[in-house]
Amino acid sequence: MTDEAAAPSAPSSPVRTAGRWLADHPAAVAGIIAVAMFAAGELLRPGFAGYGQILNVLRVAAFLGIVAAGQTLVILSGGEGVDLSVGKVATLSAIIAARTIDGGNDLMLPGLALALGACALIGLINGLGIAFLRIPPLVMTLGMIAVVQGVILIYTGGQPAGRAAPLMTDLVSGRTVFRIPGILWIWAVVAVGMVVLLRRTAFGWRVHALGTNRLASGLSGINVRRNVVAVYTLSSVLAGLGGFLLLGYTKTVFLNLADGYMLPSVAAVVIGGTTLAGGVGGYPGTVVGAIVLTVLESLLRTMQLDEAARQIVNGIVLILLLSAYGRQARLRQ
Amino acid sequence: MPFLEMRDVHKRFGGVVALDGASLSAEPGELHALLGANGSGKSTLNKTLTGVVAADRAEVLLDGQPVTLRGPREAQARGISAVYQELSLVPDLSVEDNVALGVEPARFGFVDRREQRRTVRGVVERFGSAFEGRLPLDTPVAGLPPGEQQIVEICKAVARDPRILVLDEATASLHEAQVRALFEALRDLKDRGVLVIFTSHRLEEVFELCDRATVLRSGATVGTVELAAADQAEVVRMMLGRSIDRIERDRTEAPEARRVVLEVRGLITDRLRDVSFTVETGEVLGVAGLQGQGQDELLEALFGAARISSGEVRLDGKPIHPRSPRQAVRERIALIPGERAREGLFSRRPILENLTLASVGRRALPGGLLRGARERRAAGDAVRRLQIKLGRLLDPVLTLSGGNQQKVVVGRWLLTEPRVILMDDPTKGIDVGAKEELYSSMRRLADEGVAIVFHSSENLELVRLCGRVLVLFEGRVVQVLEGDQVTEDRLLEASVGVDQVPG
Repeated sequence: MTDEAAAPSAPSSPVRTAGRWLADHPAAVAGIIAVAMFAAGELLRPGFAGYGQILNVLRVAAFLGIVAAGQTLVILSGGEGVDLSVGKVATLSAIIAARTIDGGNDLMLPGLALALGACALIGLINGLGIAFLRIPPLVMTLGMIAVVQGVILIYTGGQPAGRAAPLMTDLVSGRTVFRIPGILWIWAVVAVGMVVLLRRTAFGWRVHALGTNRLASGLSGINVRRNVVAVYTLSSVLAGLGGFLLLGYTKTVFLNLADGYMLPSVAAVVIGGTTLAGGVGGYPGTVVGAIVLTVLESLLRTMQLDEAARQIVNGIVLILLLSAYGRQARLRQ
Repeated sequence: MPFLEMRDVHKRFGGVVALDGASLSAEPGELHALLGANGSGKSTLNKTLTGVVAADRAEVLLDGQPVTLRGPREAQARGISAVYQELSLVPDLSVEDNVALGVEPARFGFVDRREQRRTVRGVVERFGSAFEGRLPLDTPVAGLPPGEQQIVEICKAVARDPRILVLDEATASLHEAQVRALFEALRDLKDRGVLVIFTSHRLEEVFELCDRATVLRSGATVGTVELAAADQAEVVRMMLGRSIDRIERDRTEAPEARRVVLEVRGLITDRLRDVSFTVETGEVLGVAGLQGQGQDELLEALFGAARISSGEVRLDGKPIHPRSPRQAVRERIALIPGERAREGLFSRRPILENLTLASVGRRALPGGLLRGARERRAAGDAVRRLQIKLGRLLDPVLTLSGGNQQKVVVGRWLLTEPRVILMDDPTKGIDVGAKEELYSSMRRLADEGVAIVFHSSENLELVRLCGRVLVLFEGRVVQVLEGDQVTEDRLLEASVGVDQVPG
């Protein structure tokens, strides 16, 4: 380097400072992207970023966001952690709930308990297989999809029955103040719970530690296996909650109701800045990630692309977004 | 005009200033040492030269021409090769393929195996005596002991025919014979006009090998000395900016109230054969021996991280059965592991969490809820007690220098209020200043009544700190040295099996 006439200490123009801050806060970048897409949509079709439309996007994003809450935990905990079974588990939850409740308000809570209990059992098996039998998470949870699918077919005989309780529909879709649908309040509660869990509990700190260095975690007296089992169990329970709430929205079930959340749940987590290697990230990012994915979908619909073109553009944008997050702020080696 | 000239190098990482106007000037055919205390910026200066770190501001001249090094490849293209303590080898490839990786001789796009073998053999042969038995050209690197892997890494750098070879703590995992072989090869490179920049925390090595040394302190160059005309104490003074007494013994004197904390009888594991000893409150018990005689396994077994086949362990008279680190932690036993980065650090997490993790459960409210202020206070406490130098508690622990990272690992255990601390070579790869601070922390802990089992590969440390030292050889305690018997000479003799009188 030649003799630069730079400032004596570290050069820090406001632009560079801001750039560095953004590199450290990928969730903020995702937020900016979401706002930009709303703005772009508004230009294309006035009303896209209207109040009602924003509420609508948030409502759709809420289900993905809740399913992706468990995914956030799993990915944060590292060890190549990923839970591909969340979509199928959410579907199972909705199917069990629908059949148990079958329109009866008084059966809502038993239905919820039964559905979440079944999901917890599946998550427990995932966790035990991964922690004790050392089955790679990708393999374990992928295999679990097939197992759950089989369970669903046996349970339903191929014909899912039942429907949501009216009370569920009220809770999810009913308008509260400022026409905000109930699901957004539920999502807010889940979000606060997740943030408290990850930032303000010993369990949350241990999950981060596991994601950064499993060996050092064990040598620091953390019970690695028990925590891994807990993470996968929680993931399934949160996916089950997502499926249950989705039932409140759709009122009836199909055999593949929530299956489609499998990959978007991973994408939402990563767009939100949680690194796939684990250890760094958090739930607020996932919330923004879920919103980004939903706005993108909505924006592409607005552009009136046909289904095929929409999928291709969606895929390309995802690749661009996800690869942008591969870049980490540089640290001392 | 010097061959290599670095001037006015500045670099900061977050809130920490790593380099603040450092400079270096060296000639071809020179063995040039880079010395400095922990966090003085040695590694950063090295990495600036090798293109791994981009300086905020720097002037680098090669042959009088200003150059900009934008990455390791560019540095390599200019003839600068580097070897670090961390290896960059592909474990499953053979030694030959690793050495040739990236510079394979090719004909029509195909690797010329015969030519490759010839050139690689030429390089590896220079280090022949560093390998046990024949040259392991076809052995997968993963099958070699750590010291030999390090030599292969050096061969890889040499095979690139560098004009400048940077060795950053490259001798840390080598044993004596390998260091000899390396030094011989380096002197040979020097004769061919190569500039070797050498960093080692072992001062004796530097004095033995190098012609000149550039001394860094707090990111700036203090001076360059002709080593033939300097003595070690003088150089250490330059590094520290203050003088230290040469060998003061920091052993704690036996107070009357001492009692046995840890009692081990007939311990047998995969690599330990019938080990028995006791440790008292306030004692620093040394564990010595040549590399790999079971020292680390002894500590791991006591910590529940290695399987015990038979034997008895008593803590305060009560038998315990350490089967997992978690149990050991519950018994208030702590282990400072030997490989800091791999076994001790949560590199991407904040300093705060690194400090509090092992003890976080005991400060939590029911349900595992944490109080932020309380965690920060606990962490701040450890920072003060160990004099950890940091920017902010929420910076990633990776932003700290090696010595301060090690203090963070120690601090994590201090917060668990241990009764017994097992230390596995805790000063490896950290330099004089940080070592001194670690020693005084150990002494203070012992004075507070903690029992410390201290394995070190540097006998001088054991002489300074331990009133009693177990010497291990092939998994057995071959000698126990006490009091005035604990000298470097006696330790060395016992380690190699001379004078085998059972303690």
